[in-house]
Amino acid sequence: MRTLEGHLAGISTIAWSPDSNTIASGSDDKAIRLWHRATGKPYPVPLLGHHNYVYSLAFSPKGNMLVSGSYDEAVFLWDLRARKQMRSLPAHSDPVGGVDFIRDGTLVCSCSTDGLIRVWDTATGQCLRTIVHEDNAPVTTVRFSPNGRYILAFTLDSCIRLWDYVSGTCKKTYQGHVNTKYSIGGAFGVGGTEGFIASGSEDGEILFWDVRSKEVLQRARGHDGVVVWVDTCPGRSGTLVSGGLDGTVRIWVNVEDEDVDKVKTEQENGVAAFDRDDGDVDMHEVKVENGASDDDTPGDEMSIDGRRTPEREAEQPVNGGLNLDEMEE
Amino acid sequence: MNLSLVDPFVLAQDYPESTTGSLRSGHATCVRFNRKGDLLAAGRVDGTVVIFDVETNGVARKLKDHTRQVQSLSWSRDGRYLLTSCQDWKCNIWDLQDGSILRTVRFEAPVYIAELHPWNHLKFVVSLFEDQPLLVDVSEPEAVRLNLPSAPKRTKYDEDEASRNRQNAQDAKQTTTVAIFTASGDHVLSGTNKGWLNIIEVATRTTIYSTKICTGVVIYLRLTSSGRDVVVNAQDRIIRTIQLPNLSAADLDPDTIDIEVEHKFQDVVNRLSWNHVAFSSTGEYVTASTYNNHDIYIWERNHGSLVKILEGPKEEHGVVEWHPHRPLIAACGLETGRIHVWSIVPQQRWSALAPDFAEVEENVEYIEREDEFDIHPQEEIHKRRLDLEDEDIDVLTIEPVKGEMVEEENAFRMPVQLDLNDSESEEEFIAVGRGEMRRKSPMEGRDYMLDSEVMGSTDEFSKKPKARSRKR
Repeated sequence: MRTLEGHLAGISTIAWSPDSNTIASGSDDKAIRLWHRATGKPYPVPLLGHHNYVYSLAFSPKGNMLVSGSYDEAVFLWDLRARKQMRSLPAHSDPVGGVDFIRDGTLVCSCSTDGLIRVWDTATGQCLRTIVHEDNAPVTTVRFSPNGRYILAFTLDSCIRLWDYVSGTCKKTYQGHVNTKYSIGGAFGVGGTEGFIASGSEDGEILFWDVRSKEVLQRARGHDGVVVWVDTCPGRSGTLVSGGLDGTVRIWVNVEDEDVDKVKTEQENGVAAFDRDDGDVDMHEVKVENGASDDDTPGDEMSIDGRRTPEREAEQPVNGGLNLDEMEE
Repeated sequence: MNLSLVDPFVLAQDYPESTTGSLRSGHATCVRFNRKGDLLAAGRVDGTVVIFDVETNGVARKLKDHTRQVQSLSWSRDGRYLLTSCQDWKCNIWDLQDGSILRTVRFEAPVYIAELHPWNHLKFVVSLFEDQPLLVDVSEPEAVRLNLPSAPKRTKYDEDEASRNRQNAQDAKQTTTVAIFTASGDHVLSGTNKGWLNIIEVATRTTIYSTKICTGVVIYLRLTSSGRDVVVNAQDRIIRTIQLPNLSAADLDPDTIDIEVEHKFQDVVNRLSWNHVAFSSTGEYVTASTYNNHDIYIWERNHGSLVKILEGPKEEHGVVEWHPHRPLIAACGLETGRIHVWSIVPQQRWSALAPDFAEVEENVEYIEREDEFDIHPQEEIHKRRLDLEDEDIDVLTIEPVKGEMVEEENAFRMPVQLDLNDSESEEEFIAVGRGEMRRKSPMEGRDYMLDSEVMGSTDEFSKKPKARSRKR
């Protein structure tokens, strides 16, 4: 296990590059740093430009660009090779909660506590669509669906909405979890052939919804306290990882019909993220405590070929004295 | 996937309108887009080949080996390999996975143009200066070079022996100036210095058809992406487009091939010569850069009319290239070596920013809905909304977008090099004047940037000598 040191203040977000060789981290010191995965060394020059805390990051599918959302209410697009800001989008009138790239890299979406979700053209930097719900609830996280047709938005009214961004209509609302205070995140996952949505909850549970029927498929308990972030493994294994305010990162594997949490690990800062390729470097430190499924070695679970599936991600629950996950301003 | 959201009026515009910036890394002399259109290769005066990322306008990779000016570039179909030909009499095939040289072939003469086989990245055809063109197979490390004929195929010989001899003597003097593969790769199209267009069958390496299409030298040939049409740039100041017959037809009889010029584009008033020509992505348009002039011309092929003269930076342009699926043109400036880009600047639609507003052409009288101001309890509204969400949705299946290239399984993606800048401080050439070069001092920062953002280092240099002379 390796500790990446360099930021001067708490880290709010990390993201994996598509080739898994680079990790980007966004911090309260207003900088975004890039790290070699293999060596754990940072690239010498951080990405500077934001005027306030960097709160959300996403790599483009090719790995040549990075999008960042910040408390300075702007969304920046970065050219990663030159480590230069390509574009600054005057995105919102409140801190930007989440950003995401679509699977072909042509669109970027951003969301904010002002209740808006905006869709941007990567090439021209123009806003192509704004989505707003009548209730205007603060939006804390956005995710494009794996096929890029929909946007999943997490709002502080304990709802997760699936938007058709072309027509601007809400197609599904997923409910059952508690989310009123923290910037909780989740992800699309694939179990077998069906898609599911997984999200954390402030009551310490992880919830799984069926995408079509909106039914809660399962509630998984394991964390003490708020589950801040859940991310799924690319591919069809249904494996996921969660980070909670109790300072633990838990890895969940799909065991036949019963999902049981098997793995428990304690990491100092509780950052949960899925590696895209092959988790050998970061994930082999995680101990599997359950011997039931003997062939399910962690190495196998992490080896992923789903190069096209939008994965990546991470979020950090607690750091130092600053608790940025509270989106209340 | 942004197409569904972009203004349809912008999408309907299929040729560029105005200059939108420029790319620079050294002095570029030739450019070529890959088939996907996300990368632009540029060959420089100092022999370096630079790969630009079209999305970020930054340098994605530098390929160094050539020592003289790069003459031509050719991408493999999957975008993994790049063939470069250079004035150092060499051709290299580069593997962009790691930027290494897969094969190097040295020739006995300077190379005009080298073009890769459309389906096999280890085969290419080169046209050489005052020599016969070669078909090169580098499947093995030792290159196999096969001569291709330059002499046109004569359908009927003159009875008279004297004129036949004269004809043979003439044919012996023919050299090929440009040779390219057809879309299937089974035939080679070549142009000669006497204005002949030859079709050569690759399997037998014999000319199956020849026609004299112009009087002067054939300078350049280029196919559309479908391979059905070819554009010919010739010394006689006329650009010709030709529809090719289906050469892969099973019952092809070479004697029945008939090639006719479809359109002739020329500037009758100014008698301009054309430096370089290219087809648009669909082949509907033809664009050309002008000799001794700053403009880029665009003609459309339906009626054969001139639709646009692109003005831009005040310099003559050499190689001009059209993006494989966007209305975007890139051209190399001859003096500065910058790559200038013309494209469309879309307007921000204000209705996209405020979802409650819609843009209307004229005033619309608003008719209130029957229940618009009815007051319902909050829960009921919420429940009603949820009940409406009964649509069946699919978040996983990827629908093919019309008009977009279907990405193959395991398509090649060039790895992103993040440590490129760390090796950026090396010697570069910069132009001080037309045809004059000087070595750049290592103290100058990065050598590429977007023109709109920063003044390029070249400008500073070209200004300095002037300032000095004024002092005197």
